[in-house]
Amino acid sequence: MENSKRRFLKGTCALLAGASGATLLATVSASNEAKADPSVKYALIHDETKCIGCKACEVACRETNHVPEGVARLKIEQTGPYGEYPNQFYHFSRKSCQHCEDAPCVNVCPTGAAFIDKETGIVSVDAWKCVGCQYCIAACPYKIRFINPVTHAADKCDFCRETNLAQGKQPACVAACPTKALVFGNLKDPTSQVVQVLKANPTQRAKVDLGTRPKLFRIVAKSGEVAI
Amino acid sequence: MSALHFDTLVWHWPIAIYLFLAGASAGAMFFAVLLKHFVLKHNAYQSGFVQAACIVAPVAVMAGLGILVLDLTKPFDFWKILVFYNPKSVMSMGVLILLIYQVFMFMWIGLLFRKPIDAWCESRFPIVLKFTAWLSRFEATITGLLVIFSLALGAYTGFLLSALPGYPMLKNPVLPLLFLASGLSSGAASSLLGGVLLNANPNAKEVHFIHKVEIPLILVEIVLIFTFFMGLVLSGGQSKFAAFNAIGYGFWGWIFWIGIVGLGLSGPLAMNLFMTATSKRKWAYVAGTACLSLIGVLLLRNFILYTGQMTVV
Repeated sequence: MENSKRRFLKGTCALLAGASGATLLATVSASNEAKADPSVKYALIHDETKCIGCKACEVACRETNHVPEGVARLKIEQTGPYGEYPNQFYHFSRKSCQHCEDAPCVNVCPTGAAFIDKETGIVSVDAWKCVGCQYCIAACPYKIRFINPVTHAADKCDFCRETNLAQGKQPACVAACPTKALVFGNLKDPTSQVVQVLKANPTQRAKVDLGTRPKLFRIVAKSGEVAI
Repeated sequence: MSALHFDTLVWHWPIAIYLFLAGASAGAMFFAVLLKHFVLKHNAYQSGFVQAACIVAPVAVMAGLGILVLDLTKPFDFWKILVFYNPKSVMSMGVLILLIYQVFMFMWIGLLFRKPIDAWCESRFPIVLKFTAWLSRFEATITGLLVIFSLALGAYTGFLLSALPGYPMLKNPVLPLLFLASGLSSGAASSLLGGVLLNANPNAKEVHFIHKVEIPLILVEIVLIFTFFMGLVLSGGQSKFAAFNAIGYGFWGWIFWIGIVGLGLSGPLAMNLFMTATSKRKWAYVAGTACLSLIGVLLLRNFILYTGQMTVV
């Protein structure tokens, strides 16, 4: 009697330890697999010289991804006006997920709800796994994450991974842009437009010194302010 | 910019209270082990200060976890943190540490009170005696692991914040050490306060021992706070700005200089030195010093959490 109880206890403990070990191993091997070279790695360029600040991208994003009012996956921030009348300009910059290669949000997420899609390199959120601890929101140096008031999960731009991209279309913001200021494509494909534009233009990325290796590039407009 | 509400604020005061409670629990257990092994030996369970530590540690860690769960946007999904782990996430590893810590904490407390537990269970549940006898074979292992996990828990409260690369003041290697030291001193203070509230003798040898450890601990804390801000200032850029923004002026400047440096560190240090010199400890002195320490640590947690989130890279 005593023996069977003890064996039962031992067995249960071993099972529990084994189960948690197995999930840990699975995550470790999954993160190793992510390092394997995928053939697709999506990136986006915002050409600020072409952006006119119409915010059609904001509206298209909200409609396509059913983003509730009060929060946004994508914002166009306006500064200015710069210069003297009549030659005055506004400056428009895009505020959205930078799809970091070494994403702080993915590193801190306790459940793995924030993840990098192995096939596309897109930083994405599994709304079911998210418990809403908001660690990712605090960790993101670009401050683009928010809690979706409907799902109560962390939310952000995923290059329309679950909507337009899944249907073989361009992301909503790219398709909606009237001046073609947004270029979306595969960095691994040397013939893609995104690679051609990146090779032909000097581009900038935000806060690269943090080692996050973001994949949102900007072609800087002349109208901006020189910040030191 | 308001001191308590600003755009870049993600984590509010409940997180600071959680960090405080987890640190206090770890510190209380750490000092309970020290008291048992260096001061009291076998009859440690009769000491009011050890009893207080054994009440504070489980209550604080569970209250802290409760606050953490309630602060989630999906509190009923908290079990997912226990099922899904991310080895790269400080929070995920912290949850693991918290769980293992609690197991060793309860085993150690059970062994500490083995005599009264055995006496009470002898006629009622004789099976418990076999369990405690079996457990006592591993007493040294349990004690060692409890010390390691309580130190890990204390440091984890700092690593949790220093893993945030967007905030230059929090992304600081000194922060885990600072939170560990202040967590230990809050554990010491809570067992002293609890002990005298349980009518233990304020001039007991346990108090002498804790005060002897607390004096160097407070000095280490002062050195760590100095290094923390010196490191930020010497890093330059936004780190320097964050440091001066935090301690230079305004609401949080007052909290830092009056509340933390004045009441929380200098106060207890002076009182401890005074009590060591005059050698006779009184109830009000011990309780007052402990209260000052606890207020100082609670303010430090809130101060670091709020001012840390004020400046973004």
